[in-house]
Amino acid sequence: MAEPLLSLRGVSAGYAESVVLNDINLDISEGSGLAVLGRNGVGKSTLIETVMGFTRLVSGSIHWRGRDITRLKPHQRAAQGIGWIPQERCVFPTLTVEENLNVVARPGSLTAARVYEIFPRLAERRQNRGSQLSGGEQQMLAIGRTLMTNPSLLLLDEPLEGLAPIVIEELGQSIAHMSGDEGMTLVLVEQHAELALEMTREAVIIERGRIVHRAPAAELRADHDTLDRYIGLNLGE
Amino acid sequence: MSQLLAVMFDGVAFGMLLFLISVGLSVTLGMMNFTNLAHGAFAMVGGYVTFALASLAGWPFLATLPVAFLATMAIAAVFERLLFRYIYETGELNQVLFTIGFVFTASATAAYVFGTVHQSVDMPAVLTGFIELGEIKLPSYRLFLVAIALVITVGVVYGLEHTRFGAMVRASVDNQKVARGLGLNVNRIFALTFALGSGLAGLGGALAIEVLGLDPSFGFHILVLVLIVVALGGLGSVWGSFVAALCLGVFDVGGKYFVPELGSFLIYLFMVALLFFRPQGLFGKR
Ligand SMILES: Nc1ncnc2c1ncn2[C@@H]1O[C@H](COP(=O)(O)OP(=O)(O)OP(=O)(O)O)[C@@H](O)[C@H]1O
Ligand SMILES: [Mg+2]
Repeated sequence: MAEPLLSLRGVSAGYAESVVLNDINLDISEGSGLAVLGRNGVGKSTLIETVMGFTRLVSGSIHWRGRDITRLKPHQRAAQGIGWIPQERCVFPTLTVEENLNVVARPGSLTAARVYEIFPRLAERRQNRGSQLSGGEQQMLAIGRTLMTNPSLLLLDEPLEGLAPIVIEELGQSIAHMSGDEGMTLVLVEQHAELALEMTREAVIIERGRIVHRAPAAELRADHDTLDRYIGLNLGE
Repeated sequence: MSQLLAVMFDGVAFGMLLFLISVGLSVTLGMMNFTNLAHGAFAMVGGYVTFALASLAGWPFLATLPVAFLATMAIAAVFERLLFRYIYETGELNQVLFTIGFVFTASATAAYVFGTVHQSVDMPAVLTGFIELGEIKLPSYRLFLVAIALVITVGVVYGLEHTRFGAMVRASVDNQKVARGLGLNVNRIFALTFALGSGLAGLGGALAIEVLGLDPSFGFHILVLVLIVVALGGLGSVWGSFVAALCLGVFDVGGKYFVPELGSFLIYLFMVALLFFRPQGLFGKR
């Protein structure tokens, strides 16, 4: 079997006083796509931020393309091709749309022109500041900005949270496009389980900082009992 | 009337000087939340570089200015790597204690090397006279200050607003964590900004000799004014610092001239009043 793109071995991590994640083992192979599901506050964002190197790692190791990156700083991990899209979007408010894109640009096939093709709305707003965008536009910009780093893995932390249904549909298509045509591997944290499972091949469910269920996405999609038990509300949306 | 204008102009010139000295601190504070009370000490370093070159080595004053900028920048860069970077994550109290300690050390070093007397430098003839504009007589040195400060302000604003490095600085001020997570080496960007800002302070310190004089306590005296500028202008805001420094300069000079009994108290009144209505400063975001 080919070497996984990203692998976590026995990772326990958290914040200054609290350990949130316990003994996480994960392999993400190139092109597969992983949905990370779970209720509020179970540690999904902590998992993403641990991959980026923002949390306090208590034990375990993280490998990227077979190389140990456990000790690398966040900016070094980003430079390796790990593309993080933070949960609160956090576009740079005082930078224009164009600057938001260019400031993090790294060489590769994804350029500002390409991002404007994927999100035509951003092209219209290119001289507006980040703070002047609507929620949906900010999310497009947050995604586009990360694309500018030409990542091979995209870590999307609830990209559809708080958006209107029509925007969700539009963004959902763009995300599917990135994993399909652009050949990017997705790690997708989502409350919209149905949508997330459509776009990924594998899935894990997290409960109180542990992975409590693993299954192929298609299988989990049909497994209403499990979804009900661990996630409850969002089924069938 | 012409007197009012002359005093105002004096205030503007003083404000420009304060801006030069403060702008670096405003940007670095906004970026890293690093409480750097040593900033004034770097202004002093620039002052002594110019003093040493002009008064001891006999260089012409104007030729010492670029050296004051570059030397202060280099010294600041060395101390950033050697000392300051270890206290970015240690909390404000540690930073305050450490950087104040740094000012004491710098001050003692200056006293040891240059003595505790008030130093001055010889000005070239072009900068010592007056320039008459109709009825108003403006001191040429003040005009020179304003001109130099304007050029540098334009340079700083251009650098911040229109270069990729400037965008990186602003992105890091906006959201340091996200900037890191998207591949920006915030520590290196900060170190460069820190050095540049300290260099500007050094240049300001050199230019301030003629206005404020120079002695080993310069780093303490200027610190009060610098902190007022940064607090009034808002962290991380260049324009805020610019406007705040101008107001402060005009209020200070005007206050001392027109209401001498209040003297320098007026600027504190001004600061309290402004912060009462805008606690985040004129242009501050937090
Ligand atoms: N910066 C932090 N410092 C300390 N504790 C934190 C921090 N961020 C999150 N936590 C705690 O870690 C736990 C997991 O939070 P996390 O944000 O990872 O959950 P989540 O699954 O992403 O939730 P949501 O669906 O609401 O985004 C929570 O108990 C939370 O209070
Ligand atoms: Mg979360």
